[in-house]
Amino acid sequence: MSAVISARNLSKYYGNVLGLSEISLDIGTGITGLLGPNGAGKSTFMKLATGQLKPALGAVTVFGARPWNAPGLFRRIGFCPEPDAFYEDMTGLEFLTGLLRFYGFPKREIGDRAARALDIVELTKDKDRLIRGYSRGMRQRVKFAQAIAHDPELIILDEPLSGLDPLGKRKLIKLIKGYRDEGRTILVSSHVLPEIEALTSEVVLIHQGRVLAQGDVPYIRELIEGHPHQISVRSSDPRALAGRFIGDASISRMSFEPDGRTLVVETRNRDAFFDGLTAAVPESGLTVEEISSPDDNLQAVFEYLVGK
Amino acid sequence: MTMRGAIGQVFAFFFALGRKSGRARTFALLGLIPVALAVVVRIVLRGREGDIAAVFSEILMVFFLQIYIVVLSLFYGTSVTAEEVENRTLSYLLTRPVAKTAIVLGKYAAYAALMFAMTAIGLTASFFLLNTARLGDPALYVTFLKSLGVLGLGILAYTAFFAFLGTVLKRAIILGLVFGFGWETVIQYFPGSTQKFSIVHYLKSLLPYRPVTGGGGRGVALLLFRLEPTPPLLAAIALVVIAAVFLALACGIFRAKEFLPED
Repeated sequence: MSAVISARNLSKYYGNVLGLSEISLDIGTGITGLLGPNGAGKSTFMKLATGQLKPALGAVTVFGARPWNAPGLFRRIGFCPEPDAFYEDMTGLEFLTGLLRFYGFPKREIGDRAARALDIVELTKDKDRLIRGYSRGMRQRVKFAQAIAHDPELIILDEPLSGLDPLGKRKLIKLIKGYRDEGRTILVSSHVLPEIEALTSEVVLIHQGRVLAQGDVPYIRELIEGHPHQISVRSSDPRALAGRFIGDASISRMSFEPDGRTLVVETRNRDAFFDGLTAAVPESGLTVEEISSPDDNLQAVFEYLVGK
Repeated sequence: MTMRGAIGQVFAFFFALGRKSGRARTFALLGLIPVALAVVVRIVLRGREGDIAAVFSEILMVFFLQIYIVVLSLFYGTSVTAEEVENRTLSYLLTRPVAKTAIVLGKYAAYAALMFAMTAIGLTASFFLLNTARLGDPALYVTFLKSLGVLGLGILAYTAFFAFLGTVLKRAIILGLVFGFGWETVIQYFPGSTQKFSIVHYLKSLLPYRPVTGGGGRGVALLLFRLEPTPPLLAAIALVVIAAVFLALACGIFRAKEFLPED
């Protein structure tokens, strides 16, 4: 089956700043997650795919056509941008009906589509309120509504879960999966791995404008889990605690913080270390005050993968 | 959807939005200043109908022609594309099945219609308040319509120019102010054909007033000082051409240009 979005050696520069570098990838039906830290190039890729930016080198096609200055393509594409920006003087209903007009739908159909989209995102009772009076979550939902109101085949969502509470996220994830089950193509970006994991099994890992990895979530997790983790443990006697782990093969390095109370451990097997810690603490009579993981974030993971 | 249909939909979207905006309320109020002045003049100059009528042509028309429509066109014209970039709403328009040209033309038309409505209200009220003695004179209505037409053409030409500026430059308002209140003010007093390098020259060439030469009467000295008018038909054509050229340039640039996020 041909790809819905296809990029070949796609590059984009902002002056001297690299946006994307020689990205080649194909995105087919279903949900594809674009995962990367802030500034990785996710939004740049989405803007290239939606014709808002021109490639510096290479090419991107959507449904076989280049999207730059191709307005006809957008009957089939819905885009939910990342910025929290709206025509604030409009109500939610006016915003949707106004944008739906651009598709040439008959007047009655515009009303029906807008009502349906607002119902899907549970904004029906707030449809006549000005957007400037909406909460962050409501604004995110109306932004999603304008992306799906015209029933596009391809839905591109730039950080759609941002600003939503946990219940809101669950509902939106369920919605997105519903669109996948209808046979649509969804490209969704996030910098939070669990969000992407909840949505899809197909992930493209992007960092500093390059694709670091592409595959299903277990594969990506394995890459991430394989990198050495740093764990800080503050306790009443860090040296005694260190002594407990001297012979542990999963520990690659141990050091002490200048405060004299914190042991920093580097391990490739977090689960084994925590099992050992759980056993060691009651046996030794030590008091553990705090456990933290300074590099338990996507940035550190990417730095590790880049360094590999 | 045809181009005409697309322009129509963009027009409807931005006319509805523009009508509700705080900016429209502010400028509409500004347009009522001449009306307030007209009321004061009627009270102060009670019975002196000739003087009252002259206030419109010598003072208020200056306000409308050289201040009001310039300010309106500057803020609305530069906003045609620039405000979508600044407010980060451009992606809503660029990801619709609407040509970029239709976006520029539709929004330009919407803003021009709004500005014309604001101008017409103030002009109509102040004009007739100051010319109540001549309400039975058909020539009065011809003068009124010509004055309205001049301001309408001015709005079209200035807005097109400022829309072009707004598409090319990030901080177009500053250059627009220099043009609107610097160049346009100074150049019209230059002798010879230099005057023709301004929009206001052609507008003044169309005004339904003429300077009174010789004795008697009161002329429109302030407005038409040093004017070497272009024939009215040519002046009207020039204004339409100015509007068309700058609109075409704005459309071409908007179509070709990438609008990068500030961050």
